[in-house]
Amino acid sequence: MQYFIQLVISGLAIGAIYGLIAMGFAVIYKSTGLVNFAQGEMTMIVAYIAWTVSTTVSGNVVIVSLAALLAAIFLGVVIERVVMRPMLGEPIFATVMVTIGLAVILRSSINFIWDAYPHGLDVGVGRDIVRLGGVGVRTGQIAVIVALLLLLAAIWAFFHYSKIGIAMRAVAADDRTALLMGISAPRIHALAWAASSVIAGIGGLFFALSYDLSPTMFQLGLKAFPATILGGLDAVLGSGVGGLLIGLTENLAGGYVGSGTKEVAGFAMIIVVLMVRPFGLFGERDIERV
Amino acid sequence: MRTRDYKQSYGELVALIDSPPVWLWSVVLVLALIVAPYALNAYALSFLIIILITATGALGLNILTGYTGLISLGHVGFLLTGAYGYAVVVSKYGQSPLVGFLAAGIVPGMASLVVGAPSLRLKGLYLAITTLAFSFIINTVILEARWLTNGARGISVQRPEILGISFDSDAAFTHLCLVVAMLTLFATLNIRRSRVGRAFVAIRDNDTAARAMGINLHAYKLLAFVTSAFITGIAGALYGIYLSFVSVEGFPFLLSIEALAILIVGGLGSALGAVLGTILIVLLPEATRLVFSLFSTQLDATFTTGAQELKSMLYGLVIILFLRFEPRGLVGVWHDIRRTWVNWPLRY
Repeated sequence: MQYFIQLVISGLAIGAIYGLIAMGFAVIYKSTGLVNFAQGEMTMIVAYIAWTVSTTVSGNVVIVSLAALLAAIFLGVVIERVVMRPMLGEPIFATVMVTIGLAVILRSSINFIWDAYPHGLDVGVGRDIVRLGGVGVRTGQIAVIVALLLLLAAIWAFFHYSKIGIAMRAVAADDRTALLMGISAPRIHALAWAASSVIAGIGGLFFALSYDLSPTMFQLGLKAFPATILGGLDAVLGSGVGGLLIGLTENLAGGYVGSGTKEVAGFAMIIVVLMVRPFGLFGERDIERV
Repeated sequence: MRTRDYKQSYGELVALIDSPPVWLWSVVLVLALIVAPYALNAYALSFLIIILITATGALGLNILTGYTGLISLGHVGFLLTGAYGYAVVVSKYGQSPLVGFLAAGIVPGMASLVVGAPSLRLKGLYLAITTLAFSFIINTVILEARWLTNGARGISVQRPEILGISFDSDAAFTHLCLVVAMLTLFATLNIRRSRVGRAFVAIRDNDTAARAMGINLHAYKLLAFVTSAFITGIAGALYGIYLSFVSVEGFPFLLSIEALAILIVGGLGSALGAVLGTILIVLLPEATRLVFSLFSTQLDATFTTGAQELKSMLYGLVIILFLRFEPRGLVGVWHDIRRTWVNWPLRY
């Protein structure tokens, strides 16, 4: 039982990180209609910037996270402006392939800008162990689950009550009509990229707090795919919950079946889910007009 | 004037070779490729072999992504199963290489049915991600099935001897790859001209309309998957033989990206494009290295230390630049050049 609870808690913690990155996917999909294959790489770069700030400027946790968030906004806006905006109006396939190209570039740039060795982000918090009902849990793990839940609530409110959130939904539903209503689609896209970069960056930050940074961190993005597919590409909240489910499945499979299955449990799960519901658990069914 | 625009029958429209000069140059090219292994040094020959093998794989992906419009991010999975199909049958069970090549086609074909069947309900990006998931699952299955695949240790493969002909030397192996690549090229060109190819393209252009015209979507999508996987598997077997060692590490995920880059750079949905794209993508890292080494030795040193990273950066850059500035790919450039050449000094 102890073992089971341990697996569940660490599964939820890593799942929350997947969930954050998956929400990043969903925010971009919801407003621009494309899947950003560079999400994992953006997460990784934000985490590396946080590490650089913590080693060179100050180890204060507030300064490090603020710097990381600003960097994430900057990264998102620059990518949208330089790479994605010229592709506006091109077919989806082309645009998605551009994000794949971007992913490959960002991934290898890590080795040039930083190095190939693992680093720990040490800002003095997140690594202490708390006893919770007889099970040792890191504070960072609790914090990430709480952060995910808070963000889920915040984003739900944002999409339902704020003007910008409603504008984003309008652009996602039909960008031409949205344009006619006086919504600037490029600006909404830029906003979506920034928001997605920040949400995923928060995930990267928490990952760096509890685990170590390394150039293979972009694989978090690959792990977050099942999460967002499970929840539905267009469901931001669903993606967050999907992340928790994937993290849980992965850890339980790794703990009870074998370490090899841990890596692919999420992928196997989405293949099963997609056979039953091809648009994800919380996604909307696409109605196609001919 | 020879405009090549005036066709009188459907047969003329789909003819593989439509004029005597094209015949002549094709024959010259084939002869040059046959002689090349004896004229080139070992370093240049290795590029030729890689180009031939990669072209085979790219043509395989072209059937699925180029013709049928189903994006696959997991094609390295078929490459890998093909290589293992060959290695297990030939190196482990001592069968003849011909049986090995058959297995290298059939095993990925079966695997493609497994990934293709659930994919029938999926569209676009969901499908791409499912194929991605498939390639990771295949990796794990191969690593876990140690009794068959030796797990992470991999299987070493000898150069084959087929029908009494030994393909041990590099020149002979090039000829083997050349034969396979030519056969694949003809096969894909002929698929494109046939009823099946027209069905594939109809599905790509609008699958609902294709269905309304009486095309069995499930059957043709699965057929595209199986054909594509079969060809890619053969390419995988050749690549395994070339590396003389088959392991999961030998087939990184980057190969899937490389294959898509080839199709985009060459021009999606064109066999000629797949070949042109292969040549560009395979030679690109080397060409860049040469250009940089002209300027300074220090940059050259960076290239040798971070070769893998620079290679993937180049792929990414080429994908983005081509999609941004020349979405038709090299084959579009080629058509422009040809039209200008034929019509000059007129514009049209």
